[in-house]
Amino acid sequence: MSSPWSLPARIVRGIVVALAFLVILAPIVVVIIAAFSPTDFFKFPPPSFSLRWFYEFFRLENMRSAFLFSMQLALGAATFGALLGTLAAVFVAKRRGFVNGLLQALFMAPLVFPTIILGFALLLFYKTVNMPLTPGLLIAHAVIGMPYCFRTVLASLQSLDPAIEEAGQSLGAGPLRTLALVTMPLIWPAVLTGWLFAFVVSFGELNTALFLTGPGATTLPIEIFSYLQFQGSQLVIAAASTLQVGLIILIVFGVQQVVGLRRIVSR
Amino acid sequence: MRGVTPARLWSFGLVAPPLVVALLFFLGPLIYLFYVSLHEASSTELYGARFTLANYAAVFSDPFYFLIIKRTLATASWILALSLLIGYPVAYVIARLPPAKRMLVMLLLLFPLMVSNVVRAYGWVAILGRRGVINTTLGDLGLVDAPLSLLYSTQAIVIGLLTILLPYMVISIANTLASMDTRYQEAAQSLGAGPVRTFVHVTLPLSAPGVTSGLLLVFLLTLSAYVTITLIGGPRTKLLVSLIYDNVVGFQWPQAAALAFVLLALALVVTALILAIMRPGRVQGSGR
Repeated sequence: MSSPWSLPARIVRGIVVALAFLVILAPIVVVIIAAFSPTDFFKFPPPSFSLRWFYEFFRLENMRSAFLFSMQLALGAATFGALLGTLAAVFVAKRRGFVNGLLQALFMAPLVFPTIILGFALLLFYKTVNMPLTPGLLIAHAVIGMPYCFRTVLASLQSLDPAIEEAGQSLGAGPLRTLALVTMPLIWPAVLTGWLFAFVVSFGELNTALFLTGPGATTLPIEIFSYLQFQGSQLVIAAASTLQVGLIILIVFGVQQVVGLRRIVSR
Repeated sequence: MRGVTPARLWSFGLVAPPLVVALLFFLGPLIYLFYVSLHEASSTELYGARFTLANYAAVFSDPFYFLIIKRTLATASWILALSLLIGYPVAYVIARLPPAKRMLVMLLLLFPLMVSNVVRAYGWVAILGRRGVINTTLGDLGLVDAPLSLLYSTQAIVIGLLTILLPYMVISIANTLASMDTRYQEAAQSLGAGPVRTFVHVTLPLSAPGVTSGLLLVFLLTLSAYVTITLIGGPRTKLLVSLIYDNVVGFQWPQAAALAFVLLALALVVTALILAIMRPGRVQGSGR
């Protein structure tokens, strides 16, 4: 198809595209560069290279433990959420009808639901039943992560040839054996992709965790937020942010090696 | 499948764990939240014993709440309009890239969405703040005597949230445009339609599903972006979600619950409005 744009329109279009990518990526790039500054206060660009603020980050007890806690929480919540999402998708995939539609809507709802309201509703519920902090936070993040896995696994199941599963069953395998030996080997890349998104979402999640964290159970994003609010924007925040971004790059790279980049981008 | 067979029982066992979690930790707490919103506040309990509609009446009678709701809708409208205006051309360009290049660019858009919003909001504080990139650069060039105050306004919130949410809009539209059959455009052009007419009458209506999901995502995420709004807007520029937070930390839980349902109602109304205007269902075979 020929381009429907005249030359001046193409120049304007080029500027819009460049500007869009600039404003999307600049805030992250500025933070990462500033994190390696040796100066006491924010200075951009930094005069030289230093790891000073990373040492400072790991010297701060609160920051260090929030970082570790966030990693453990994301691992646990993503795994729990992926398990739930996969079970839900396997159940929903072969059914039609009104009830099934309702179930699908229920499993997808946390994806678009205002997270701060979910956090508040869970806070009230947890206070009423005396839920301890860490399991409460773990379940909250699993609920938010579940739809990501549900969606990827459901898409994968729907593109599956039903004859393959029927072959397994006609050869005498029960439903459990068919799931474990036939279906799972075919859908595990989708499970892993969903797990990745659940991990990333949990690791960066803010608005639900806002009400559910507390002493001994604070996530890195919440620690960064309260530090920004009460101690001002010191450069240790830039280092903390860089570690947040770094871990995400690492885990995306790791999963990408196994399932391929195309699967992650097209979900 | 007839009656209760073992296979059937087994498959209900499959859905039991996710269903229990979704009911107990998602739907249940929301119903409980609504129940709490219909009670008065209490200084000793989570909520008082007496049933009341006062929490909702307060929202609709207090001009302060009205002002905040108006400001929330105005801010969201700006973000929606700008993200569509910027996002559409960007998506259009991306959709026409060769597949390998397109995947790389999509990854570049997806990556910021994976970074925590607190980091991205902090990035804007680092750029727009008093000691930020813009002010130090302008100061070094001698263009300004005193640092400009660029943060802590609704305009700053619009810029911050717009750039944080823009990738959702671009990705949604680009996916629809990329999967569109180009023979539709060719047919229009062979029937004598110019490029502008082809775009307005063929491409734009066919991309309605992508535009709709982009608009919905951006709007819903704008409503609940408390941390971004607080960091960029400062303590004074409050939106509806800030009021919910303030009431929660002030232990005015029934009032906070009522505000939460006002926010949900707002979300529903605007969602219905977007669906009614865009009518994504009229494009066949594109329901996602």
